[in-house]
Amino acid sequence: MSHSTVPRSRAEADTTEKTPVASGGATGPRKKRPPTGKLSFGLRFRRDRVLLLMTLPAVLLVLLFNYVPILGNVVAFQEYDPYISDNGIVSILNSPWVGLENFQRIFEDSAFWNAVQNTLVLFFLQLVLYFPIPILLALLINSVVRPRVRAISQAILYLPHFFSWVLVIAVFQQLFGGAGILSQLLRENGYDGLNIMTNPDTFAFLITAQSVWKDAGWGIIVFLAALASVNHDLYEAAAMDGAGRWRRMWHVTLPALRPVIALLLVLRVGDALTVGFEQILLQRDYVGPGAAEVLDTFVWWNGVRNQDFSYAAAAGLVKGVISLGLVLAANKVAHLMGEQGVYKK
Amino acid sequence: MTPNAASASFGPSRRSFLASSAVAAAAVAGGMPLLAACGGSDSGSRDGTTSGKDAKKILPAYVASNVVTPDIPSKNGSAVGFTSKLDLAGLKTSVPEKLGKGGKVTVMSPFWGSPPKADNAYYKAMNDLIGVDVVWQNQDGNTYDQKLGAVLASSDVPDVVVVPGWNMTGKIPSAIIGKFADLGPYLSGDAVKDYPNLAAIPTDAWQRSIFGGKLRGLPMPSSYVPNNVPFYRQDIFEKEGYEVPTSCDEFLALAKEATNAKAKRWACLDMKWTAFYAFGVLSGEEKSLGWHEADGKLVNRIETDEYLEALEWTRKLFAAGVVHPDAELGKSAAQDAGPKFAAGEFIIYTQDMSQWWSRTAEQATQNPDFKIWGMDLFGHDGGDPTLWAKNPATIFAFVNKKASESVIRDVLAVANVTAAPYGTKEYMMTNYGVEGTHYTVKDGVPAKTDQGNIDVMNAYVMIASPAATIAHPDFPEVAKGQVEWQQRMGAFTKKSSFYGMQIVEPSRYTNLSNDFEQLEDDFVRGRKKMSDVQQAVSEWRSKGGDKLRDWYKKLLDENGSAAS
Repeated sequence: MSHSTVPRSRAEADTTEKTPVASGGATGPRKKRPPTGKLSFGLRFRRDRVLLLMTLPAVLLVLLFNYVPILGNVVAFQEYDPYISDNGIVSILNSPWVGLENFQRIFEDSAFWNAVQNTLVLFFLQLVLYFPIPILLALLINSVVRPRVRAISQAILYLPHFFSWVLVIAVFQQLFGGAGILSQLLRENGYDGLNIMTNPDTFAFLITAQSVWKDAGWGIIVFLAALASVNHDLYEAAAMDGAGRWRRMWHVTLPALRPVIALLLVLRVGDALTVGFEQILLQRDYVGPGAAEVLDTFVWWNGVRNQDFSYAAAAGLVKGVISLGLVLAANKVAHLMGEQGVYKK
Repeated sequence: MTPNAASASFGPSRRSFLASSAVAAAAVAGGMPLLAACGGSDSGSRDGTTSGKDAKKILPAYVASNVVTPDIPSKNGSAVGFTSKLDLAGLKTSVPEKLGKGGKVTVMSPFWGSPPKADNAYYKAMNDLIGVDVVWQNQDGNTYDQKLGAVLASSDVPDVVVVPGWNMTGKIPSAIIGKFADLGPYLSGDAVKDYPNLAAIPTDAWQRSIFGGKLRGLPMPSSYVPNNVPFYRQDIFEKEGYEVPTSCDEFLALAKEATNAKAKRWACLDMKWTAFYAFGVLSGEEKSLGWHEADGKLVNRIETDEYLEALEWTRKLFAAGVVHPDAELGKSAAQDAGPKFAAGEFIIYTQDMSQWWSRTAEQATQNPDFKIWGMDLFGHDGGDPTLWAKNPATIFAFVNKKASESVIRDVLAVANVTAAPYGTKEYMMTNYGVEGTHYTVKDGVPAKTDQGNIDVMNAYVMIASPAATIAHPDFPEVAKGQVEWQQRMGAFTKKSSFYGMQIVEPSRYTNLSNDFEQLEDDFVRGRKKMSDVQQAVSEWRSKGGDKLRDWYKKLLDENGSAAS
């Protein structure tokens, strides 16, 4: 059984591999893989010019909106004051350089390290408590046979994704707040009220619970798609070999999901330091920054709120560098596990 | 509130603060957060203050205007109060001819509530009256600080930008100096007499409008008496036989008695600001007001024992479980306290004085038993309180530096109408709109219509206002209560060393005390320890607080103390 699944996942891997090759300008899968490295640049350029032209608009957009703004990071090395002129670029040119002073400040700032710690704790908690849930839900939904039931349960699961965080938090507050339904119910029955929303000790769990409620349903879409592509013959063959439900799941379904899980995991790790800006900002005062300050709210607070743009830019830059390191590491781990990851050399 | 003031709500408070039809009263209200005050500047020349002879040179002349004699004259720094019936037929005209030249002026201003349509009848009528085509860019007042920094950093600043003092954090004061025009040539000295209503704005409000050595702001004058009133449900107090507390111990005892969580009744919201008053803590509404020279030494409020004692007592209230759970959520929970106060979920809360009127008006028809009243501030030990004055103007309108002279003249024409005193047609139009459309008159008392409540909100009152005025033709007893409260509290109000000065701190110190308000809120809710506060204070000292003290000391030597 396990033998039969291997080609399956390779086929998966192949399809994902083709995409970058095609857009990268190769001749496509039909021909033998050309010895790209040996063609001169000019020749390759002439051969692929139409394809290159087609990518141009996208490249320009990426340059304009992703790369040009990166240049703004120079303010991290300045004492930037946007108000000394009417033009941002002129302001940058006229702001004094301070070298690494902002970074030095960051590394000495206990609030920054508190934010880093909170961010990492939240990330790991969400990785353990949140990440598996969409997979489980997808498996559950996948096992539902009647299309109607399936559609309805999918709709119910997707719905919370479309609520704004303001709404989700208001709902949680009404249910679990100090004067919420749960607390009043407890009080009416002679117990003490519970202040779930304002307890800094359990804040990380609260945040995770909110994320699960809101977005876990939405997260199953990718897994459902992957499940849909599993060849049903494999299940039949496995059943013929005497595999029960659990064995079929273990040896057919999960291996089929493995590349997707690995990919999402790597992406998630790359995003590790981004743990839900809006959600946390809205609840920052509920428990105080000691428990709720994460890197993104730290940057917001110092930059937008206090107009300490240079300091915030420096903090953002540090965050970016750590994220890059994490995604490279995660990708490496994925490769070691024999998975595709985000990219391959 | 003033925003920071009553812990609980940043937003709604200010909304009702401005929504109040007699926004003039808002002048009284004013208000600014802890972090307000002066901010940074990139060059040495921008920080500091302007006073004495230098200020005299640029301050506008003062020409009092006596349109209607107030029923209660100003005393102890109070606003003037009007409690008798307004003669609507005999309203005076304070602007006999249109000063506007028909130009177009864009204004960005904070707005609390839902802005009306751009072409509504109120805006049209006001623009007709002024002779200027004012185009409003209303922004959510609760998140204005997040927007302001970005707009001012852009190259596309509107003709006029309204900036409340509590939004002057970080580098905003530096932006004000860099981006806004010097109005001195149009207003200094006798020049202001072209605009009689502006000439009637008290000088101390103009003094506050000097930024970076130039007269840049059009002020909203206010009383210097503290504006955060501990409100209580007088009807419930009477029914239950509660006595209004006159000391911290009495307050706590009453709070414990009144709380019955099972029945969804708590005593109060966050009482931090009342505690600051009770313990005589230096004002926290603007950074410069937190400094005071005593016995030859300049101290900051956060260094005083009173500060710690006030926080300690507030913490006791939270620990005793007498505070409504909503207050646990802190400031961002900006929920409108009104409905839950009306429902009796809590019976005491601290907010800006303007809510005295707005809550009364809100509940008048549907909840006739409801009665909100302000309790006198008490000394913590039951004696007289020591109160510290707030500044006499807190909201300013600024004109873009790039505006042409004709645009500036048009803006001043707008201000001259909006600053018209009580008893004039211009005041009535600015605060109530058009008769028949926005308000109706019953028995000589104006009452806003539904459309009035939609259209006649914020906007024009933000440009400039007359001397602090309290007038509620619809609820004269509230106006009386407010002015008398101010007068009683005014008797206990002292001015600190830097009272009334508009001070721009050097940029490297502007963010020094930013986190204290948060720390206070964390401490009183039991999330931080007293040692954390003390450590933050000593860090504050070593990170620049002591240097800032030297800087203020120098300023004091140069300008003299404003203390009284």
